[in-house]
Amino acid sequence: MLHFRTLFALLLFAPAAMAQNNLSDLFGKDSVNRQPVIATFKSTRIINGHSNETLKKGELDFRVAHRFGDIGGSAGGAKTFFGIDNSTDIRIAFEYGITDQLMIGLGRTKGSGNFSQLYELLAKFKLLQQTMDNRVPIGVTLFGNAAVTSMKSSPVESDAAHFSQFSHRLTYTGQVILARKFGDGLSLALLPTYIHRNRVGYMDMNDMFALGVGGRLRFSHRVALVVDYFLPFRDQASKDYFKTRGIEFYNPLGVGLEIETGGHVFHVNFTNSTAVLENQFIPETTTSWLQGQFRWGFNISRRFSLGR
Amino acid sequence: MKQLLCIISLLLWGLTGRSQDVQSCRNVSLSFFSSAPLEDIEAKTSQGVSAINLKTKAVYFKVPINTFQFRKKLMQEHFNENYLESNKYPHAEFKGKITDDVDLTKDGSYPVNVEGTLNIHGVEKSYKMNGTITVAGGKLSVTSKFKVRVADHKIKIPSLVVKNIAEVVDVTVAADYQPAK
Repeated sequence: MLHFRTLFALLLFAPAAMAQNNLSDLFGKDSVNRQPVIATFKSTRIINGHSNETLKKGELDFRVAHRFGDIGGSAGGAKTFFGIDNSTDIRIAFEYGITDQLMIGLGRTKGSGNFSQLYELLAKFKLLQQTMDNRVPIGVTLFGNAAVTSMKSSPVESDAAHFSQFSHRLTYTGQVILARKFGDGLSLALLPTYIHRNRVGYMDMNDMFALGVGGRLRFSHRVALVVDYFLPFRDQASKDYFKTRGIEFYNPLGVGLEIETGGHVFHVNFTNSTAVLENQFIPETTTSWLQGQFRWGFNISRRFSLGR
Repeated sequence: MKQLLCIISLLLWGLTGRSQDVQSCRNVSLSFFSSAPLEDIEAKTSQGVSAINLKTKAVYFKVPINTFQFRKKLMQEHFNENYLESNKYPHAEFKGKITDDVDLTKDGSYPVNVEGTLNIHGVEKSYKMNGTITVAGGKLSVTSKFKVRVADHKIKIPSLVVKNIAEVVDVTVAADYQPAK
């Protein structure tokens, strides 16, 4: 009989206890994780290349990018204060978020490579966002720009900068940015890129494909290591020709520290490439890390929230 | 055998009775407000969940941190990334009990006190708060306002932005319940 009593007591109280503790069980493991993954990168740029991030609706981003002269090599060293005396490229731009997915930008770039004095118009669209539940495992963003040079046409007809018509002044970039954030600390990006330059020098390529890779490794809440690298697919024939003229092309590699101070994102970086615009640093980088031809650079981004 | 049948029927009665005792809400509105010298910050979500057991007076709330919407999206990013670390601690959760002797099966409006544990940012703390439960047609609705001291939950505010973020934020909760299925 005792047996029955315990059973009875157990049966009576167990569900009562359960009902109280398990209010949380009503909701299972649902909800959170349809949410998009945020802050795969902290800024719209990794270093040289774009990240998958876009500005949010109504945000204005004031950007300044600067690349100094060679730290080492024949153009560097103490006489130029390790490149600080020179600036190879400077870009000042305003970029604006039209929606949470679409941003546009207008920039002025000093230019380094075939052209100088460039105006750039860009658009970037966030097509897909990675989600917390991995239903969408990667983010996909599309980027495109058009740059026009306002420099004086070169009198030398064979020069890339000899413009017999306006369209010669134009270059374009088209890019797909695939990005994924792995946990809290690591983000990686793959950037298949297409560059079109309406006018190039002899044996150079009007159309060029390139593959970029980029990454961000977060040390703390506010500091991260950022890296990006582009592999331009230049024809062997073109490479050989330029070699006979003493010009060799290198793949642009940037390594930097990203420091965030709430509103500002500040990059201090080293790059072998001298230019800031894709249109130039992908096809026209002729400076090499190994020959001391790398430089200090910084990107500053200041974001303002306008309107509602 | 008779006894066993008796037990089973009792048990069944107990279970069915109990499931009617629980009411739940899957679109709890939560907002918080921070008032600091340099700016006021407000964020809202309506994706909280909650349940109340009318008999035991147990109360449960859970809200996904990353559903809070801010006017400034950059702020929302900082909130998730730097302050609440929503990747590590995706939810805020409250488990508590109504301490007053109220009969929630009868229509009416009852001011109540609730005691329990609130987990934010992975840090648990005991809270006593009050709110109002309104019962109409057997269905509950709840409103409550309480204060959360961010330091209590080990949410660090860098000295650079102390003038932008309040030390104590006001939290507002509102939920309309349905009998749980």
